[in-house]
Amino acid sequence: MATATMARKTVRINGCVAAAQAAKYADVDVITAYPIRPYTATMMALAQMVANGELDAEYIVADSEHSQLSIAHGASSSGARVFTGSSGVGVQFGYELYSPISGSRMPVQMMIADRTLDPPGDFGSEHTDALSTRDMGWLMGWSCDAQEAFDNHLLAYRIGEDARVLLPQMVCQDGFFVSHITTDVALPDSGQVKEFLPPYKHPYPLDPRHPVSHGPQIMPEQGPPLQLERARAMEGATTVIEEAHDDFARIFGRRYDPWIEEFMTDGAEVVFFMQGGHAVTARHAIRHLRERGAKVGLVRLRTIRPYPTDRVMDSLSRFKAVGVVETNMGLGSVSSGGSLYAEACAALYESDTRPLVLSFMAGMGGEAIVLKEFYWMTNKLLEAQKRGKIEKRTHWVGFEE
Amino acid sequence: MPSTCAGCGPSIQYRMTSKASGDNTILVGPTGCMYVANSSYLCTPYNVPWAHTQIGSAGSFTAGVAAAYEAMIRKGKWKGAFPNIICEAGDGSASDIGLGSISGALYRDHDCLIICYDNEQYANTGIQASSRTPYGGMTTFSPPGPMVPEAKKLFPKELARMMAAGHPHCYVATATVGYPIDLMNKVRKGLNHKGAAFLMIYTPCQKGFVYETPRSIDLGRLVVECGLYPIWEWNPQTREYDYSFRPQHMRPVSEYLKLQGRFGHLHADHIATLQKFANAQWRMMDVEVPEALVRATNPETIADMASAEAAAAVAHTV
Ligand SMILES: Cc1ncc(C[n+]2csc(CCOP(=O)(O)OP(=O)(O)O)c2C)c(N)n1
Ligand code: SF4
Ligand SMILES: [Mg+2]
Repeated sequence: MATATMARKTVRINGCVAAAQAAKYADVDVITAYPIRPYTATMMALAQMVANGELDAEYIVADSEHSQLSIAHGASSSGARVFTGSSGVGVQFGYELYSPISGSRMPVQMMIADRTLDPPGDFGSEHTDALSTRDMGWLMGWSCDAQEAFDNHLLAYRIGEDARVLLPQMVCQDGFFVSHITTDVALPDSGQVKEFLPPYKHPYPLDPRHPVSHGPQIMPEQGPPLQLERARAMEGATTVIEEAHDDFARIFGRRYDPWIEEFMTDGAEVVFFMQGGHAVTARHAIRHLRERGAKVGLVRLRTIRPYPTDRVMDSLSRFKAVGVVETNMGLGSVSSGGSLYAEACAALYESDTRPLVLSFMAGMGGEAIVLKEFYWMTNKLLEAQKRGKIEKRTHWVGFEE
Repeated sequence: MPSTCAGCGPSIQYRMTSKASGDNTILVGPTGCMYVANSSYLCTPYNVPWAHTQIGSAGSFTAGVAAAYEAMIRKGKWKGAFPNIICEAGDGSASDIGLGSISGALYRDHDCLIICYDNEQYANTGIQASSRTPYGGMTTFSPPGPMVPEAKKLFPKELARMMAAGHPHCYVATATVGYPIDLMNKVRKGLNHKGAAFLMIYTPCQKGFVYETPRSIDLGRLVVECGLYPIWEWNPQTREYDYSFRPQHMRPVSEYLKLQGRFGHLHADHIATLQKFANAQWRMMDVEVPEALVRATNPETIADMASAEAAAAVAHTV
C-alpha cells in the first residue's frame, strides 16, 4: 500500500487537508463525498490522493448527504473503514441516518467543518449543524487547530472501532477558522499509525460466510434493552477514550486531556467555557487580560459526547463566574441562547460551589469573535463576580453596551 | 418470525429471487412490508446476510455494500468471490422516497441488483397511494368519493423505463410473480451483468388489492394478459428494448379489475380509460390490438364495476 512509505514530516496545511491526511494515514477503504463548503476541501484533497494512487479507496460521489451517510452505513456494515463528512445544511440533509448508524453500532467516521445553517447559510462556523445531532449516539468533539484535527481523526477511529465501543464519530472543526487556516502540522510515519490504529474489524459484518441479520424489526418490549445497550456503549467509551489518549501520547508524543483543556486557570476567578477554534483567540485575549491583572482563564471542552459531566463540574466549580461562549443556536431554549449553557449548568447542579453562569451568543452566523469581544465578555464576568449575581442570563455580544 | 399476510406477492417474489441468487448473497431491505413483516429481532427468515436500511436508502446502502467489497477484495482485506448484492425495495421506496438513491447507485454502476417489488402502493403503512398506484386504484390516500369517483386520477410512474432511459448501461427488466421461471432468469441475468441492474416485479398484495388469497399468481398473469404490466428487457449492449415476451392470452382489462376490491368503485368510463391505456401499451410493444379490445374502449359496451356501497365497504377493509 502507498501508505506504507509515509515518513514523519511537518507540513503547512489547513484543517480540511489535515482531516484528509488523517483519512489517508488510516488507510480508509470507502470515501463518500457530496459537495458543500467549507468541508469540500477535504474531499477534494482525498479525490486527488486517490487519483494519484497515494490512497487505495473507493471514492464515491454520492447523490446527496442522505445517500452519503447511507453508503457509509452500508460499507461500514460490510466491514470497510469508512470516511465521510459534511457542513451546515448538508449535515442536516443526512439527519435520518445518524440514529440508524449508531443503533447498528457502525463506527462510521464523519468530518464536520461547521457552517451556519440557512439562513443565513454563510460559510462561517456556527456549531449548530453538528450540535443538532448531539444526542444521536455519535462520539463528538471539536478541534481548535489543524494539528488537533489530524490527531482527533486518528483518535476517533481508534476509539469508535474498539470492540468495547463500536460507535460512529463526528470529528468537528470550525469552518474557515480551522478548516481554511493553514498552520504547521506534524505528520507521523506510517509505522506509528500502524502501532496506534489496528485494522477495522467489526464482529458481525455482512459476510456471506457467516450470515447475520442487521436491524430487524423488534417488539416493543425488546426496545428498552437495545437502547440501554447503546447508552452503555456511549458511557463505556470513557475508559477507551482515556486509554487511546494515553497511547496516542506515548506513540506520537502529543498529549491531550481527552475531555477539557484548561488554559491559564491557575488563580483564575472567571473563565470562558467553549469549544473549537475561537479558543485560539480566547487564549490571546486571556494573555493580554492577565497582563492587565484580570483573573481570567479558559476551559475548553474537547469532547462533548460522551459529555464529561464530572470533569466539567470539578473544573468549573473552582471559579466564581463562567461565561459559556455558545457559537450555536438554541432558539427558545432554557437560556434563550445556545445549547452549551444548559448542559454546563446541569453538570454543575450537584456541585456545592456553583459558579455564576452566563451565556454569550458570540460568533453567530459564523462571524469571528474578536479580541475586544473577549475583553467585553470578561468585563461582564468580572461585574457578575463583583455583584455576586448575574445581571441577565444571556448576552448577545455586539448588541449591548 | 415472518408474519406477512397469506398469499403475499412480495414474499413469493422474495423466495423466487433468493432461490435464483443462492448462498453467496447479501440482501438489503429498505423499510416496507418485506422488512417489517419479514424480520423480527432474535429470529430471522434469512439464511444469508441481510440488513435493514432506511426507506430512502435503497440504492445508497446497497452501493455502500458493493463499494466495501470492491475495496476489501482489491486490498486483500477479504478473500472470496464477490457476493451477489441484492436490494429488495418496495415501490414506495423505489419510485418515490428512494428514487434518487437508486438512480445514484445505477448511475455509478455498482455491481448490484436492485429490485422494486411492486405492490403498487405503500402497503406497510396501511395502503397508501404511491407513484406506482394505477389509475383508478383505491387506497387510503386516494379514496373514491363524489369529487373523485375514479379514486386515483394519475397514471403510474414509468419507473422501470426511467431507469433504462437514464442509466442505459444497466440491465433493466420487468417481471411478475405469474411467470416464476422468467422472473428467476431475470434475477440471474441481473446478477451476472457486471455492474448495476434493476428489476421491477409485479407482486400483488391481497390486503391492498382486496382479492381472494389463492389468486396471487393468477393476478400476476392476468395483469400481463390484460396489457397493464408490459414485460420487457432492456439490453444494455444494444441499448434496445426486447418486447418478445408474449402472454398466452390477451384479455380486456375488466377481467383483471373485477377480481380486486380496490377497483370496485370504477364506472364504465374509468374502465374504458384503462382499456385505452392497455391498448396503447400493446401497440408500444408492437402487438396488434384485436378488434374486441378496441371495442372495449367504448364505455357504452361496459358495465359499472359495482355500487357505491360495495366500494365503501371495501374501503373499510383496507
Ligand atoms: C423516512 C420514512 N418515512 C416514512 C416511513 C413510513 N413507512 C414505513 S413502511 C412504509 C411503506 C413503504 O412502502 P413500499 O416501499 O411500497 O413497501 P411496502 O410496504 O409496500 O412493502 C412507509 C412509508 C418510514 N419508515 N421512513
Ligand atoms: S400487506 Fe401486502 S405486501 Fe404487506 S405482507 Fe400483506 S400482502 Fe404482503
Ligand atoms: Mg409497496
